Amino acid sequence: MDTANNKTEDESPANANDYLWDRSGERDPEVQRLEALLEEFRHVGPAPVFPAIVQHRRWTFFPWRMRLFPVLAGAALLAITVVTFLLHQRKPFPVVMAGWDVSRLAGAPRIGRMTISGKEGYRLGVGQVLETDVQSRASLQAEGIGQIEMEPDTRLRLLVMGAGLKRIALDRGTIHAYIWAPPGQFVVDTPSAVTVDLGCAYTLKVDDSGAGLVRTSLGWVGFKLNGHESFIPAGAACATRPKVGPGTPYFEDASPEFRAALARFDFQVTTPKQRAEDLRIVLAQSRQRDALTLWHLLSRVDEDQRMRVYDRLASLIPPPARVTRDGVLRLDQPMLDLWWNALGFDDISVWRHWEHSWSGAATPVREK
Amino acid sequence: MASTSGDRVDLLAAGRGRRSVREESAPEFSDDAMLVHAAREGDRAAFGHLYERYARMVHGVLLAKVPMGDVDDLVQDVFLKALRRLSTLRESGSFGPWLAAIARNVASDYHRRSVPEDPLEDDPSDNDIDVENASADHEGPAAILDTIRSLPDAYRETLILRLVEGMTGPEIAQRTGLTHGSVRVNLHRGMQQLRAKLNPHPSRHPPEQETL
Repeated sequence: MDTANNKTEDESPANANDYLWDRSGERDPEVQRLEALLEEFRHVGPAPVFPAIVQHRRWTFFPWRMRLFPVLAGAALLAITVVTFLLHQRKPFPVVMAGWDVSRLAGAPRIGRMTISGKEGYRLGVGQVLETDVQSRASLQAEGIGQIEMEPDTRLRLLVMGAGLKRIALDRGTIHAYIWAPPGQFVVDTPSAVTVDLGCAYTLKVDDSGAGLVRTSLGWVGFKLNGHESFIPAGAACATRPKVGPGTPYFEDASPEFRAALARFDFQVTTPKQRAEDLRIVLAQSRQRDALTLWHLLSRVDEDQRMRVYDRLASLIPPPARVTRDGVLRLDQPMLDLWWNALGFDDISVWRHWEHSWSGAATPVREK
Repeated sequence: MASTSGDRVDLLAAGRGRRSVREESAPEFSDDAMLVHAAREGDRAAFGHLYERYARMVHGVLLAKVPMGDVDDLVQDVFLKALRRLSTLRESGSFGPWLAAIARNVASDYHRRSVPEDPLEDDPSDNDIDVENASADHEGPAAILDTIRSLPDAYRETLILRLVEGMTGPEIAQRTGLTHGSVRVNLHRGMQQLRAKLNPHPSRHPPEQETL
């Protein structure tokens, strides 16, 4: 497996320019020229003098406290006894859950019925709704997870804030997410698909009908509903529709004809003849980087069409060793994964690991 | 959050091509964690070491998004914000990605406060520069930097870290928390687009075949 993968990486066009990657291999004169020219903008200078770092105060025992120890211990024991008694008499206290810090960027966003104003800190807890109207914007931040900016007319709910899974629901509107949590831990439900962060920054839009669009600017995103899955690397986008799920991802610089045909193929009910024509346009207009789209189409077309998609994809990015035509046509998952890795986007094992860990998370949580 | 930065490293290492990520980055993550811990204890020298380690990364992230004249001041802002919030960083090994996020936020705040005529809007139409007039303008360093900053968001930051700040791809991945694969792809595609913009005339410079 390792050898095969290494071979795949070596063959990948993305790996061809080692000088650009780590200055190894044959020198690239143009890269060297640019390095020399741009060096003048490089950061220089020593660290400034930073202000004193304020430490949290620590508990220290003084001798006089030691003399009070038996009294304090007795008081503590009494307090514990009383509290334990009261706890047994009452319903359990609600567990205080972690949440996202919310700040206002414009207008008057609301958490439930509470309006956020000024610069005071607010917190969105599990089960709460954060909403912006047409004039307001808000920002959410959680240490160790990331930051989300909400555009006007957006509604989201915090669903889960667990150790390995952070989950929100975007009911409508637009969010920009910058996530630094480990890949696979931040999940956004939309009415028509589940978005899984795989180490990235992205924009997610949902309209009033529940249709969505994700656009990735860094890293990559997984989009999933009921076994229908799409992977969207940087520079690509993917639409989703209620009851259909995620469409086929595409690079946003693809031709308008390509994109229009793909949209019809994914979401419109058309005749078999029109569907065949749309696929023909997509295949004919595809460039090498549109291998992204063709790889996804392999599992979304019927058997006859799959052969055409295979042939076009193989002409753009030849399948790596151990990936056979027969295997791909019968949708052998390991072979499809090997071919994906050869496309040069990212390693699909990250996604498979997520699927294995969170198989139940691929269905949107219904609002109560 | 119970998970640690090691989770991310483990997860990445689960990918066959990622073993080197773990091998290369683990000691540095550990160093970061120690420095963060010391800084939290009030050790300003430790925070100074973090500054020296990450200043180029922060500078590059900002340079990709804000005018050159304001970058140095904003670098200081980023580190001061980080210093104030250091006690809230739960995973001390994730200092780099956390700091990069602060830098991106500072850049976003800068644009929110700026007047609309700021030329660094992340507009897809930025990609369609006037290539006919571009070649003559792209001789000087400042013009080349502007050309890089006209590239899509995904590529400009990585290219600036590589070409301006002099970081290698593995360093960029380690400092920013992006995967090796993402950095490699961003570098390659960004460089491809940069070459096309700097050498727009196929007759003088044969076009590179489009690759992934």
